Amino acid sequence: MSGPRYHRTRAQDQRLVGFECTDCGWVAYPDERRTCKSCGAAPAEFEEVALATRGEIQTFVVQQYLPDDIETPQPVAVVDLPQVDGEGEAARVYGLLTESSLEEIDVGTEVDARFREMFADGTRPVNSFKFSVPRADKAGDGGDGE
Amino acid sequence: MNDAYVVGAGMIDFGEHYDQSFDDLLESAYLALLDDVDHGIDPQADIDAAWYGTIDIAGEGSSGASVAHATGLFEKPITRVENACATGSDAFRNASLAVRAGAADVALVIGAEKMLDDTAGLIGSAALERLWRGRGVTMPAYFGMRATRHMDQYDTTREQIAQVSVKNHENGTKYPHAHQQFECSVKDVTESPTVSYPLNLYDCCPVTDGACAVLVANEDRAREFTDDPIRHAGFGLSSDSFQRGGDAALTNFPASRHASRAAYEMAGIAPGDVDVAEVHDCFSITELVTYEDLGFCEEGQGGQFVEEGRSALDGDTPVNPSGGLLSKGHPIGATGVAQVAEIYEQLRGEAGDVQVDDPQVGLQHNIGIGRNATGAVSCVNVLQRP
Repeated sequence: MSGPRYHRTRAQDQRLVGFECTDCGWVAYPDERRTCKSCGAAPAEFEEVALATRGEIQTFVVQQYLPDDIETPQPVAVVDLPQVDGEGEAARVYGLLTESSLEEIDVGTEVDARFREMFADGTRPVNSFKFSVPRADKAGDGGDGE
Repeated sequence: MNDAYVVGAGMIDFGEHYDQSFDDLLESAYLALLDDVDHGIDPQADIDAAWYGTIDIAGEGSSGASVAHATGLFEKPITRVENACATGSDAFRNASLAVRAGAADVALVIGAEKMLDDTAGLIGSAALERLWRGRGVTMPAYFGMRATRHMDQYDTTREQIAQVSVKNHENGTKYPHAHQQFECSVKDVTESPTVSYPLNLYDCCPVTDGACAVLVANEDRAREFTDDPIRHAGFGLSSDSFQRGGDAALTNFPASRHASRAAYEMAGIAPGDVDVAEVHDCFSITELVTYEDLGFCEEGQGGQFVEEGRSALDGDTPVNPSGGLLSKGHPIGATGVAQVAEIYEQLRGEAGDVQVDDPQVGLQHNIGIGRNATGAVSCVNVLQRP
């Protein structure tokens, strides 16, 4: 565990804030940098944009073979999170899936971002976003509860 | 600029070499090369410089001095090249560049890797703690992402992906240096243990030690070493962001497209001119996507390409006659150098049981991965009978 690495992206890890390149419109998440990782603008100008909590799975895998201290099966997806105002490009993010059965997951599945404990830094929990199939959409579930 | 020619190649059997040190691997590949040069070589007098490819996972061979020590090539400029999984092919490219520029008349390219000394390191490099990447995302996951999306977008079947592995394992049984020499069926692949859905164990290359060396000479010197030199006709190297546009290409690797187009242009050929290819098949899906990236078929047609046998030994574009990384193994620093050596053998008609029919143009391709699922580096070399 790297404390400094965690602290460097703390604000973005705990809020769904992306950074839109004013040259090409690509949305960086979680990093805000000084050059654009899509169009190569240098220096680039970024505008802070709020990201929606619901996005769509673009592709995924289910990891089975991992170090012993990681729970398996471990689904991981590339998720496009649109901007809250519905304008501009979505942010494309890597995320772990949680609270979802493997049968529910496919390309095109909608998922919600949920703030969860990722792992511990010593005794302190480190939190960020995981993704899950919306609760209200699940059969037999009483609703989203939020 | 001068032309550059491959005039010799030597490789060791890829496999598990716990009993051999890094020095042993380098020595063996080097001695095999000296033995391979048709007209012989006086290495101290003839070799002007060396380029050395390794990631140095084992932590034993970090600098050019490792090659000087292992070969006895003292007082010569030796440069280590590291460029992800394209390390070996980029070392070859750099040696060729020096020969073309006239900075060296004869250059040694040598690549080596001991992958089995520290497998925990490989898994550990899966970045357990980066929040934004997802915990423990491994190489099979990065490439598996392409497989899931390719199946969804192009109706590629799981069986077509598995056929890449079936083909390469069959080829590997005929190639003496391959690490894992067994045949398998589509069912064997799809029913082998799941590593990262949709990829199973037989979709993944083994963890392998290996070393390989090739000799590059300019046009004036080449025929001193052999009557049958092979011309390095073109190359391309492309570097991408670790997450270009958030990994925009979910079904392909843009770096491979850029690198191959540059290599084709330099060599003055088109994809259809390639008679034999050794490409990066770290996972079965990687080769399937690479058919498309290299222009051997249209985008989305990779599954049909392998299913129709077009990449088989007797197909119109044989791919990975050596068994590829899937069968032969992937000792990173040696991988690209070995692919160059294999194409050299093919173009000279010396590939034994995996020889394809009278090839004139051969292609070698590596893709390297970065911190995210994009192929962040790609190197392509085109070799040609003069």
